Amino acid sequence: MRSSKPLAAALILLSFSALPAIASGPASPFVHRKKYAMGTVFEMVVYDASPAHASTAIDQAFDAIARLDHLMSNYEPNSELTKLNSSAKLHSQMVSADLYRVIEQSLEYSHISGGRFDVTVGPLVDLWKAAILGNGTPSTAQQVAVRACVGYEKIHLVAPNQVAFVSPCLSIDLGGIGKGYAVDRAAEILEAAGIKTALIDAGGSTIYAMGSPPGQTGWLVHMRDPSRQVDPTIVMSDESLSTSEQTPPSLLATISAGHIIDPETGVPLKTHFAVSVVARTATATDALSTTLLLLGPEAGKRILAKIADTAAIWITPQGELCTVSTGPAIVLGHQFRARLPGVVGLHRKGCE
Amino acid sequence: MSDQFMRIRTVVLWSSLLLVPPAWGDVLVRWSELSVPPQKALGVRKLVVFWGSNAASAVRRARAQGYEVYAELPFEQAILAAELISRQPVTGMIMDRGQGQQEELDSTLRTLRSAHPKLAIWLLDSNGKQPQMRGQMIATRNGMLQVSSPTAQPWLDSNLPAARFEQEFHPDQPPLYAFQWEAGDSVEQANGPSAEDYSLAIAEAGAIHADLILAVDEKLQKGLLENQPASWAIWNKVKQHLSFPSSKLHGSLQPWANVGVITDNYEAAYEPMNLMGRHNIPYRVLRATSVAARNLEGLDVITVFSRPDKQALSQLTAFADQGGTVVLVNLKGTYPWQSAQPVPTADHALSYAVGKGRVIELAEPVGDPETFAQDVRRLIEKDKVLIGLWNALTTIAIPYRNLRSGEILVELVNYAEEPLRIQVRLKGSFASIRYESPDQACCQLLPPAQRDGFTEFVIPSLYIAGRVRLTPAARDSRSSTIH
Repeated sequence: MRSSKPLAAALILLSFSALPAIASGPASPFVHRKKYAMGTVFEMVVYDASPAHASTAIDQAFDAIARLDHLMSNYEPNSELTKLNSSAKLHSQMVSADLYRVIEQSLEYSHISGGRFDVTVGPLVDLWKAAILGNGTPSTAQQVAVRACVGYEKIHLVAPNQVAFVSPCLSIDLGGIGKGYAVDRAAEILEAAGIKTALIDAGGSTIYAMGSPPGQTGWLVHMRDPSRQVDPTIVMSDESLSTSEQTPPSLLATISAGHIIDPETGVPLKTHFAVSVVARTATATDALSTTLLLLGPEAGKRILAKIADTAAIWITPQGELCTVSTGPAIVLGHQFRARLPGVVGLHRKGCE
Repeated sequence: MSDQFMRIRTVVLWSSLLLVPPAWGDVLVRWSELSVPPQKALGVRKLVVFWGSNAASAVRRARAQGYEVYAELPFEQAILAAELISRQPVTGMIMDRGQGQQEELDSTLRTLRSAHPKLAIWLLDSNGKQPQMRGQMIATRNGMLQVSSPTAQPWLDSNLPAARFEQEFHPDQPPLYAFQWEAGDSVEQANGPSAEDYSLAIAEAGAIHADLILAVDEKLQKGLLENQPASWAIWNKVKQHLSFPSSKLHGSLQPWANVGVITDNYEAAYEPMNLMGRHNIPYRVLRATSVAARNLEGLDVITVFSRPDKQALSQLTAFADQGGTVVLVNLKGTYPWQSAQPVPTADHALSYAVGKGRVIELAEPVGDPETFAQDVRRLIEKDKVLIGLWNALTTIAIPYRNLRSGEILVELVNYAEEPLRIQVRLKGSFASIRYESPDQACCQLLPPAQRDGFTEFVIPSLYIAGRVRLTPAARDSRSSTIH
């Protein structure tokens, strides 16, 4: 599957702390594995008394991710999504439960965001890819033609398993939600195998924390901070975190394109923010992180305020930041707080 | 012809011979147990033992088992120990350069080589990296997981930059490096590195044309000595890769690259080089004092990390004048091209038109090597890109060319250690494409597709190591389309 967030690394600094235990005695064993899938490195850390059991569970979870990668890829010519993209514009198409479910969930986030999250934006992404490669900006006519192919409302779902496109040129790209969906399925598999404590990381842009490491209340996660001043952290347990940010600007050439395209304008999003969002599932955080980046802090806060157990933080390279929470507590670094006398916790420039 | 001219010619000839790099791609096994399995069983010829209290006994036993034995020791102890070592049945001595200064190292090497002409004396970089695909988390002994990568794309720990640097600065010896295995999780701590981990290390050394001292885990050493089937099952997989890199096959191969990296400072250029390698942008390292026109032949873009002297400036200006692109990184100063009107091309970059080409001055260090590497790729004109890979984010492809035959050889290493189907595009027109790997007998013919001056082909399944040989199309074999 094409990654929609190649540079949106959460840059997570995690301590899964067996630290006190290690200092005072033998730590619970953990197993740490990596696998290349969906254009990035998936990692899993599992605590279990039996490393062999942990390894087997991880293998099963990785198998599921590989299966979903093949299913949701719009790069592989024989993937189920590729076949859907070529045939659903002609007639409604029966799809697997997983593909139906992920499309259904993506449409929910399209509704929530008023269309700013849109899995049909792929043709626009492709159009702007050439610009990212330094091959010039697409013409207005090209942009208009491609925008006619975009729109989540042109996807029709018929439960339990049928999909149809009401457009001759529509296609779905699950890059903005697929990794999160795969992380959730992997978590289900670990849980079904009896694993209580695990961390699943999809290339740093989406992670899921299951349970708590031995002796801890949760997994301490250092979130993406382009300013290197704020050092926001969160202690996560049975929660997910995703991060989005636009492609960083070129160092040598004037290239205005980025990989995140705003469906509303049809052009690459211009923003300096990196946004990290916390929620109960990885599907939710993956979709919401892109959405909140597109919306910005002001509108993003209004959306998140309506969703229970969520939190988000927007940070610019200059250290401007904004947070919102309906539950999870994002904590700012001591050094940053010390630099803001009189401000308790948050520096809200650009937030309201 | 005068006697004096003959003498000069003889000196030049001998100097040239001395500068011919010796064979490369050797894997030396570092062994710490006193006993060792027979040489034929282990499948390696060269064994390395630390020079310590039991070393003399270990050396004798290893010799009796048929190995060429090398004594490894810190460079600081080399002068004192050399005499004693030379009386042992060792083939050579390997000095770990540690923190030694270059001049001191070179001087010690000269002294020792002169005093012990029968002893092979090599310099070792023991600070190599364990080749691996790195994620966002690193499990360390105290249980911390730390960030390692500024991008979400697979981050590859590779020894390619160090090898290219060494090849420029010590052309009289193949780069020789060693690394320490990272501790890993509880399974790795219990079992040691996997067969795939060993194989990847061997594959990388062969692909980058360097020599490697491979540390064999103590548990595996004991298992092999005790004839444990599980240990031999691991080692037999490793042996497949040990026999794959073969210096005999590649007599006059040269790295094929169109990007130059001028640097005397490895640290300053390391990350940009690492990311260029990761993006399959073939590059050559040049020291700032060796920037001559002949060294710039074939280059399209030159990145400069060390301040060029007057001679180098003149060459760089001429290079740009003829259509090349020069990128100066964080080297503020007064330069000849600054008489032209600068054009800001990014926040901290100015571009100067010079003849048919340009010079870009980046006024800060490379903070984001990933973006820098992508920028360098963009600076190469489309029809001059030497190699492109698709579906291969975990693969490094390193092209070489045979200057005599025009044959191109591409060494591939897949750091994901899982089979990948990879599409490759190479500049030039090639009639025959043969693929070989440790996993299958030589060679599989791959069908080429010619498109717009490029040859495209698909490698059906690259596991860890692979090698592609491309024979130029007949009409191109004399005056090759590649440069």
